[in-house]
Amino acid sequence: MRKFLPYLLLIPTFLVIILFIYWPAADSFRMSLYKVSPFGNRMIYTGLGNFQKVFSSAEYRKAVLFTTLYVPVTVLLTIFISFFLALLLNQNVPGTRFYRTFIFAPYAVSPAIAGTLWTFLLNPVVGHVNYFFMAVFGTQVEWLTTKPYALIALFFASVWKMMPFDIIFYIAGLQSVPDELMESATLDGAGVLKKMWRIQFPMVSPITFYLVIMNIIVAMFSSFAIIDVMTKGGPGGYTTTMMYRLYLDAFAFQKTGPASAQSVIMFGLMAIITVIYFVFGERRVHYR
Amino acid sequence: MKKALVVLLLVGLVVTLGLSKTTVQFWHAMGGWRIDLLNDMASQFMELYPDIEVEVQYTGSYQETLNKLITSVQSGTAPHVIQVFEIGTQKLIDGQVALPIQDLIDEDTEFDIGNFLPQVLNYYRVDGKLYSMPFNSSNPVLYYNKTMFAEAGLDPNKPPRTFQELIEMSRALSKKDSNGNIVQAGITWNLHSWFLEEYNALQSALMVNNNNGRTGRATEAIFNNEASLRFLKLWNDMSKEGLMLNTKREDWTAARQMFMSQKVAMLISSTSDVAIMVDAQTNGFEASTAFLPRPEGAPAGGVAIGGGSLWLIDGHSKAETNAAWTFMKWMADTDQQVRWHFETGYFPVRKDSLEVLMNSGMYAEEPALLGSIFQLLLSEQNYASNGAVIGAYPEMRNIIETAIERMLNGEMTPEQALAWAEKESTIAIQEYNELYQ
Repeated sequence: MRKFLPYLLLIPTFLVIILFIYWPAADSFRMSLYKVSPFGNRMIYTGLGNFQKVFSSAEYRKAVLFTTLYVPVTVLLTIFISFFLALLLNQNVPGTRFYRTFIFAPYAVSPAIAGTLWTFLLNPVVGHVNYFFMAVFGTQVEWLTTKPYALIALFFASVWKMMPFDIIFYIAGLQSVPDELMESATLDGAGVLKKMWRIQFPMVSPITFYLVIMNIIVAMFSSFAIIDVMTKGGPGGYTTTMMYRLYLDAFAFQKTGPASAQSVIMFGLMAIITVIYFVFGERRVHYR
Repeated sequence: MKKALVVLLLVGLVVTLGLSKTTVQFWHAMGGWRIDLLNDMASQFMELYPDIEVEVQYTGSYQETLNKLITSVQSGTAPHVIQVFEIGTQKLIDGQVALPIQDLIDEDTEFDIGNFLPQVLNYYRVDGKLYSMPFNSSNPVLYYNKTMFAEAGLDPNKPPRTFQELIEMSRALSKKDSNGNIVQAGITWNLHSWFLEEYNALQSALMVNNNNGRTGRATEAIFNNEASLRFLKLWNDMSKEGLMLNTKREDWTAARQMFMSQKVAMLISSTSDVAIMVDAQTNGFEASTAFLPRPEGAPAGGVAIGGGSLWLIDGHSKAETNAAWTFMKWMADTDQQVRWHFETGYFPVRKDSLEVLMNSGMYAEEPALLGSIFQLLLSEQNYASNGAVIGAYPEMRNIIETAIERMLNGEMTPEQALAWAEKESTIAIQEYNELYQ
């Protein structure tokens, strides 16, 4: 009995996971080899035809290029800004708890609502950002419909959305850095910057290691809602990521086959990134 | 005691099962206050037909509603009646999931399709067969701010009728500050492929071959033509000169907002906005509607309708299908269409509803409402103004909008944008067609 009980208790979880994750995932592998009609009443086996079409599409290549720009930049910005903000929030200044709560707020907002908020703020007619720009610099910017501003707006919103998660982890990490270590560094004459980069940053490296991979996943896969609400992948496909392209093909054009092929490509890409990251990245991590 | 209660409950269950109503599920894509309106209309229907229970469900945007239909059809839980946007027509026909309502009309002796507007029927008729019940129809119309016209020294009763007039009046209506920022512009319409399609119809030009897909399945996009070029050039030139403001892709709200806040003096938008647009008391300015300005010397044409229609999904019992048919007929009936028109702005799809409206004297009091329907009624009826039937329509729209965005961002000239969009659309159309060869 004792042997079976754990398995028995795990069954419900596994049922849910298999039903909602593994089975659909396996199905998308199968579907990537077919051309499927919108209502599923026609299925034509195409072998690797979907992949061939996806790779030969200039629009998809653009989306891949944009993703290779969008993901690293947002992840790096998020990591560094979060680390700095966490350092500040780790100081014993009055009202720290208050600031922490407020900085964490964006995490509790759903991506679609975050996108809507930024859309309001960046509205060319009634937006606060343009009002501010008008008052201070005397210029107006079409944030969401022109290059390169659409990209800047998107970076801003994405980083803003991803940051709180990282900050919480960094605050926890920084609090566990032993005070003696910092004190002795101070006695040895290390400056603020030196302490930060030589002691605090290495000490929290396991957290950075975890956050980088989590942020990559968020930027790759969950960026869709913000993009959909803010720029719709525009102007002219400029801010279309691989995920947004997949969404368009799957849910706007009902092209299940090519969309499945794209999800297989993203799965493969993510697998490769994860393996490389774990093989080469883990060496640099300092575990206590 | 307990036993008696159980028996009573069981008996009650059996009795209610015997008397059970026929349930009709109705999914729609009309958000906002229209959710309540449709619920209310359904309850009115249930009072008249006590043996039919209508379950009304708002299922998100048109696109989300279509996706939900696809999923529900595959899992065998499809609704009876569903509202689908006009550009989903070919997809539903190809999917073979719906009962063409033509079949039911042919059997139903009480129902007279002759009461419907031919302009609307022509859109939903494919190969001479009516597939879905017209329900909410609209078309584009020019809204203009009479107050701003008067301030700029223009005649408030002479809205622009040609492209040339549109440009000249927009110049008179535009203002810039000392830094060159646009304070006020002539016109806006949201960045939507629909307007390019309408401007093709307006000049009797076709979007796709085989007479807009109406005499055979469309195989090629052919909108890289003189008509499209005239319109895109206007769009590009007016934007570059600061006479026109642009929005994000398919952002109807932003365009409306610019008009309501008097940032622009003119707006091209759907007739379904007419009630809020011309409400002078709330907006603080007087506005009216006019026909779309046309390019000089272009062939006459008309506007094509947009909006949605009601589809009868197959695979339900005979009784349920009949109940659903009764509900559909009722929704498209004279009084309901009048009410729908009043509360949403979509125009009635029936001639007798228009008659009721005319007799009530409403058109004399609200000339803006007359303007919005008059344009459709005076439209030339041909394959161009009947609208295109394309399976890959949503994808083609996405391509056209991408091309327009590239044009407005200076990456493409209007000529290049059209050539690129046409080429890409043809690929999309052919890829879709491969499924049904």
